[in-house]
Amino acid sequence: MTELLQNLIDGLGRGSIYALLALGVAVVFGVMHLLNFAHGELITVSGYATFWAMGAGWSWYLTVALIVAVSVATSLAIERVAFSRVRGADDFTLLLTSFGVHFVVSAIFLLYVSASVKTFPRPGWVTNTYALGSLRVEVFDTVVIGVTVVTLLATTLLLQRTMFGLALRAAAADFDTARLMGVRSDSVIRGAFALSGLLAGIASVFWLMRAGSISPSAGINPMLKGVLAALVGGLGSLRGAVLGGLALGLAEVLLRSRLPDSVASLTEGVVFLLIALLFIFRPQGIVTVTHAERV
Amino acid sequence: MFPDLRRDVVFPIAGSVILFTLVVASGLVYQSQFGSVGERLITIALIDAIIVLGMQVFIGNTGILSFGHIGFGAIAGYVFAVSAISPVEKMKRIPDAPFGLTDVNVAPLLAVLIALAATLVVALVVGLGLARSGAESGAVSATVITLALLFVTHEVARNWPAVTGGERAGLSFRIGGTLNGRVAIYVALLLAIVVARLYAQSRGGRLAVAAREDDLAARAMGVNPLVQQMVALLISVAIVSVGASLRVYEKGSILPGDFFFNLTLVTLVMLIVGGRRSVSGALLGVAVITAGRELARRLGQDGFEVFGVGLDGAPLDWIFRENLKTVFLGVSMLGFMIWRPSGLLDDWELDEWLHAKFRRSRESPPASLPVVEPDDSASLVASGVDVAFGGFQALTGVGIVATRSEVVGIIGPNGAGKTTLLNVITGLVESDSGRISLGDTDLTTAPSFKIARSGLVRTFQNLRLFPSLTVRENVEVSYLVAASHRRHRSPCDVDGLIAAAGLWAHRDRRARELDYGTSRRLELARAAAAAPAFLLLDEPTSGMSDSESLQMIEQVRQMAGLVGAGVVVIDHDLNFIIGICDRIYCLDCGQVIAHGTPEEIQADPVVQAAYIGSTAEG
Repeated sequence: MTELLQNLIDGLGRGSIYALLALGVAVVFGVMHLLNFAHGELITVSGYATFWAMGAGWSWYLTVALIVAVSVATSLAIERVAFSRVRGADDFTLLLTSFGVHFVVSAIFLLYVSASVKTFPRPGWVTNTYALGSLRVEVFDTVVIGVTVVTLLATTLLLQRTMFGLALRAAAADFDTARLMGVRSDSVIRGAFALSGLLAGIASVFWLMRAGSISPSAGINPMLKGVLAALVGGLGSLRGAVLGGLALGLAEVLLRSRLPDSVASLTEGVVFLLIALLFIFRPQGIVTVTHAERV
Repeated sequence: MFPDLRRDVVFPIAGSVILFTLVVASGLVYQSQFGSVGERLITIALIDAIIVLGMQVFIGNTGILSFGHIGFGAIAGYVFAVSAISPVEKMKRIPDAPFGLTDVNVAPLLAVLIALAATLVVALVVGLGLARSGAESGAVSATVITLALLFVTHEVARNWPAVTGGERAGLSFRIGGTLNGRVAIYVALLLAIVVARLYAQSRGGRLAVAAREDDLAARAMGVNPLVQQMVALLISVAIVSVGASLRVYEKGSILPGDFFFNLTLVTLVMLIVGGRRSVSGALLGVAVITAGRELARRLGQDGFEVFGVGLDGAPLDWIFRENLKTVFLGVSMLGFMIWRPSGLLDDWELDEWLHAKFRRSRESPPASLPVVEPDDSASLVASGVDVAFGGFQALTGVGIVATRSEVVGIIGPNGAGKTTLLNVITGLVESDSGRISLGDTDLTTAPSFKIARSGLVRTFQNLRLFPSLTVRENVEVSYLVAASHRRHRSPCDVDGLIAAAGLWAHRDRRARELDYGTSRRLELARAAAAAPAFLLLDEPTSGMSDSESLQMIEQVRQMAGLVGAGVVVIDHDLNFIIGICDRIYCLDCGQVIAHGTPEEIQADPVVQAAYIGSTAEG
């Protein structure tokens, strides 16, 4: 029982980061029908910014602000340079464009920094734990879960209570109709990328604090987690993305601690298999998004 | 299997041989200039070409983006390595392999076949998953499943050292003495080109392409896209496994990283730069990207000291660096997606071009077709159909009967449920209750492609042609379905039907280039080519002028007469409906409110109140 609770807390900590990434993927998918394989590159770019800031002697508090700012700016820049040029293209083109962005960004760091892993100091409290009854809880997980809850609440408020949120939800439901109703497609799409960058920025802070290193290919793993979580949750559904992220985090932690040692190293592979099975039995993901096509 | 032997077998094989000769010759010319470095580059490029051709078969014909083909390659590569490496060498790396794999010792050729068989089994399972995920052209979930496959194989390869030798050691053959010469590569490449071209021209390939162009329309013509996607996947994976085995054998070793992101990127870029919908394009892409990458590598190494041109490269130092080739690949992919997403050649094929050039004299239009007498045995019956969308009752207890010797019209104001009724009959919308049957066959729960195969073929209100196929290819799709699923009907003559529809002059134009009226005629001809028992027409005159509508009456009668089909037609245009129909059902608010001959309907006060009245006032 204690072990299960321990797993739950660890899993929620991990899943929170995935949820933030998945939500960013889902927001962009909603307005552009673009599955953003380049989402992980926001972490790569902010990771190198962190490496630079740490080298220049910045404190982590300042760096946190830098990471979020860099992530939002990168997200907007990528939209401007690449995605704005393929708006309305077919799904095949959109998928490969985002995959191309992913490669160009990592290749640029390969070219101008180096292929080797750069490390930077992690904040001291990341590895601290405290006792909660019979459980040992990481301070880090507590912070992650807390910040994620606040972020999700703020995002919900933004989407439910502001004009921008209304426009974004309308565009996600039916982009063409929303445009005809006077929603400005440019600003909604840019807003979606900014929001996606902001959520990824918060996720990067935690991802980088825990990793303490960065390399050109560091974006692959978070990209994969975010995309899979968004898909597991049901593409296009924001609630689904969050649920998908949490489910993915919990599944990883539970499998890692429960699988026999001989296959524990295959946890990632097992998770992928489970996701494939989920698709076979529930192709639309956890939350169903109805999408009617008129014939 | 192939609609036209000369066009679909003879020319593709000849074209494949020419392509193969061009590829091999340009490779030999290059390596004669650059010695042993060039020789190895060309060897690798030839193997890449096999893998890219394999990917083209699936990605090009189905339109589903797959990142997983290199994952299949990894499976094939490891199965090949484990089978073909001698027990002595395996004792060094994987002495404790399970299932007695360490002692397995087979000839390389047999090992290729084992690898192929094992990979096909995995492909079958993955394919079933893709089918369940609702795979269609551009489907996002299908693509992510293939991406997950790539990662699963990589994770397993890294973390199962007992069989794979792990991440660092890997598996290797005895040093020296693996692949002697290129004969095996040449044979495999030629076979890959021929298979890829023949598949694209075959019935299966054409139906897969139809589903790529418009999944829903393909189903409505009787194509089951999932079967065609599976066939394409298996053929494609078979080619990739052979390429992957050759790659391992040529290199003499295999590591998890060999078949992962880098190779995926390289092969995908080759495919999309050349043109994913074309075999010639795939080969051109391999050549262009191999050359570009090599140039980028040399520039990165030597600055401008390349090909004997000694310019001062110092000012451009910031760009000519190591790893330039990775940037080159990423930028190529992005650039092509933004400016030329269909690649250099789009869907141009060498043999098709040659066939068009060498077509014996001018084709003369075929003689007009005889009218087929409909046999009036099987009538279409829909009874007690109820459909609700959420809280909205779209249809309530609707029933219609149509026989094959008549034209039955369904009229009613907007929102009356006309199209919904047609969608229920053709299986696109599920009814809550009711029964649909054609003769003795119950079609109530049948999927739309089965309904089409039983003889109910429809057109669409908003035109759903296969846009990048030619007029003739559009018609051929339904002909191919009819030829195998409606054997008791005499197959119609594709050319004759095209001529009768007044499309002969347009036969080699792409459907997307046609004007609106011509597109409508093509959709009608395509439906007729399926040799249906009934043609179901959804607003065939929408968007047409009055005179065009009147011409449409003749057109519909003629097409139905040529294939002996009954007609059920929905329309707003009263002149058209009254001019063409023998009997009319009038729908309002999801119920049949009147039924009779055109004269009876025109005189019916209920109909006038619900429908005609509103237009008569204006």
